[in-house]
Amino acid sequence: MRFARLRPSRFELKVAGALVLAALVPLGAALWLARTLTAENLALALNPRVVARLEATPALYGDLFQARKQLYAEQARDVLRRLPSDPRRLHAYLAAAVERTPRLRRAAILDASGAVLEEAEATQPSPEGEWRPAPARVEVPAPSRLGLPPGAILECTFAVEARFFAELSESRDLGEVYHSADALRADIQRSYVRAFAVLLGAWALAAGVLGAILARRTTRRLSDLLRAVSDLARGDLSVQVDPGRAHDEVASLARAFNRMVREVKESRDRLVYLEKISGWQEVARRLAHEIKNPLTPIQLAFQQLEAAYSAGEAKNPKFTRLLADAGDIVREEVGTLQRLVQEFSEFAKLPEVRTEPAELGDFVEEFVRTNPQLSAEAELLVTRGGACPVALDRSLMRRVLTNLVRNAIEASRPERARLHLGVARAKDRAVLTVGDEGPGIPEELRGRIFDPYFTTRHEGTGLGLAIVKKIVLQHGGEIAAGAHPDGGASFAIALPLEPRDASERPEPPASA
Amino acid sequence: MTTDRRSLILVAVLAAAAASAYDAPRSLPTSFAAEGGRIVTTVDLAAAFPSDLRKLLSSGLTNVIALHVALLPEGGGEPAAIFGREIDVLYDVWEERWTATVKDPAAPQGRTLTFERWEELRAFLREARGIDLGPVAELGDGRWVAQTRLELNPVSKELLQRTREFIANPAAAGRGGPPSRSVLGAMASYLLRGADSGSDVHVYRSAPFTAREVRPR
Repeated sequence: MRFARLRPSRFELKVAGALVLAALVPLGAALWLARTLTAENLALALNPRVVARLEATPALYGDLFQARKQLYAEQARDVLRRLPSDPRRLHAYLAAAVERTPRLRRAAILDASGAVLEEAEATQPSPEGEWRPAPARVEVPAPSRLGLPPGAILECTFAVEARFFAELSESRDLGEVYHSADALRADIQRSYVRAFAVLLGAWALAAGVLGAILARRTTRRLSDLLRAVSDLARGDLSVQVDPGRAHDEVASLARAFNRMVREVKESRDRLVYLEKISGWQEVARRLAHEIKNPLTPIQLAFQQLEAAYSAGEAKNPKFTRLLADAGDIVREEVGTLQRLVQEFSEFAKLPEVRTEPAELGDFVEEFVRTNPQLSAEAELLVTRGGACPVALDRSLMRRVLTNLVRNAIEASRPERARLHLGVARAKDRAVLTVGDEGPGIPEELRGRIFDPYFTTRHEGTGLGLAIVKKIVLQHGGEIAAGAHPDGGASFAIALPLEPRDASERPEPPASA
Repeated sequence: MTTDRRSLILVAVLAAAAASAYDAPRSLPTSFAAEGGRIVTTVDLAAAFPSDLRKLLSSGLTNVIALHVALLPEGGGEPAAIFGREIDVLYDVWEERWTATVKDPAAPQGRTLTFERWEELRAFLREARGIDLGPVAELGDGRWVAQTRLELNPVSKELLQRTREFIANPAAAGRGGPPSRSVLGAMASYLLRGADSGSDVHVYRSAPFTAREVRPR
């Protein structure tokens, strides 16, 4: 069942498909744009001149290093040219040379084996920060003239800024990456377009799913409505759809559908009930006729028998008593049958409803006022809530109230009944309630109490509530039995409110 | 037949000939020797390198030379053996010398050689030695050719990875910056899985040979 609800309907699939299609159409254009944009960006970023310049950068550093090396060699030769002839001044000279020569960090005189004969080093840190040593060696010409051994060498160690090497490494990395990117240009463009496609596709899919979820709230209600219409077509008049909390056309449609189904059901129930009542009325009419006809001869025959016996001479006391008892029984039963016939006849000859405009509250108060005997038997409490103009057949509706009040009084016996008569307005209906504080009606019997000849009382005919319901239905109303809040039974009669303009009055419902 | 039509046919024939000449693998001097029962090949790649090779290899950038040699039946078919070698050449602009890192089955992690002079490097690159094409016994009685594929600066896995990082995070290229915050770049980087063959690819074929021509060294 749960999976069946999750399975999308064709309508939902169409909506989702339309959403995805709507998302995919711009996707194609976006992909074309992405392809063009990527190609243009790559052409801009991987401009051949830029790539060539980047690739040439390490060579430029090579030129820089070359120039530095030449400079250092020249500076070393310059130091060599001024070497003092007195070996005792050699250290001071080297120290002074280190001091005055830019980037010279160390100057040393080495012998042929590389052993240091004299040296001087810079004591201050290099002003250009970290550095790497760049040695420049020059052979000392005529070393003996300067008091140095044969093969002596002047070694000058210059500083090369370490940042050059870091920059060289970085530019080499960048150059290689750009070279690679240039070689991979087509692959990069493809991967960007694919990335666009994946991201936009995911976006379109998410939009489609989200749209489908949002649309599902509407399509699901339409599907429910369709299912309800199908159920209704199969004759299920109990079907109702949930209009939800939305205030849109679908919710209005659902509410209108529910209202229509309720009205159809009420009309059908009314017609069915009236047809049933009509059948029972015919039965009642025949029964009344069949029972009534022999009653008078029976009564007369028995009276003649009694008269003949009374006129006779011989009297048997035992028979006399038997005859008297039989006479009582016959008269009582004939009387009961006559009352039954009377009720059957009344039920069979219920008149047609002839309505006239009336105020329901006024009608109820008038009913109480004009039936003082009821007030003697019960406490009648009347409550009114708002104007309730209705169309009434006063005579028949009076009979309705009489039956209900009588039932309530009977049900409350032996206690004095306490009755609540209420008139209120609910939407397009005027509601008249008759409640008591008696034992109430068991819930399982509430569906049958309006059936003719159904009664829970020994002496009842079971016609009173059937008559009540027929009259109410003939007024275009509804009646329902329930429980009164103070215990006891409650009957609610809902009657259509009468439009103020007489031309708006609906035709009275068909009566059987 | 009109003159125009004859001209068209001539152009078509020339185009077809040029195309077949372009497609047909050229030949490189290749020698085969048997060492320890295995075919050890030497290929003279002098003709395969471009004329400006020195300039290329002295640029200060890492240059990659990818060499693949396959032993194929003369009539075509699946290779009996494939040998691969990658040489990364970097010219140190400060030290003014070349460093070649050679990776092949004999040295998968790579062995490094340093060349102070261009002539030494050229000689090393020109003659590709020690190419192992499998056991001599595999040759049997058939006729074989060695097909050499030489590619200059293919996009290596390492370079491909660096390029992917560059795409994912161009602002931090070469600086080891933080991870990319570009979704599109990260996605494009993820999808950049392989590379097409470069344009600087050369394929050569040796003359056919048999097992008898593989003499012990």
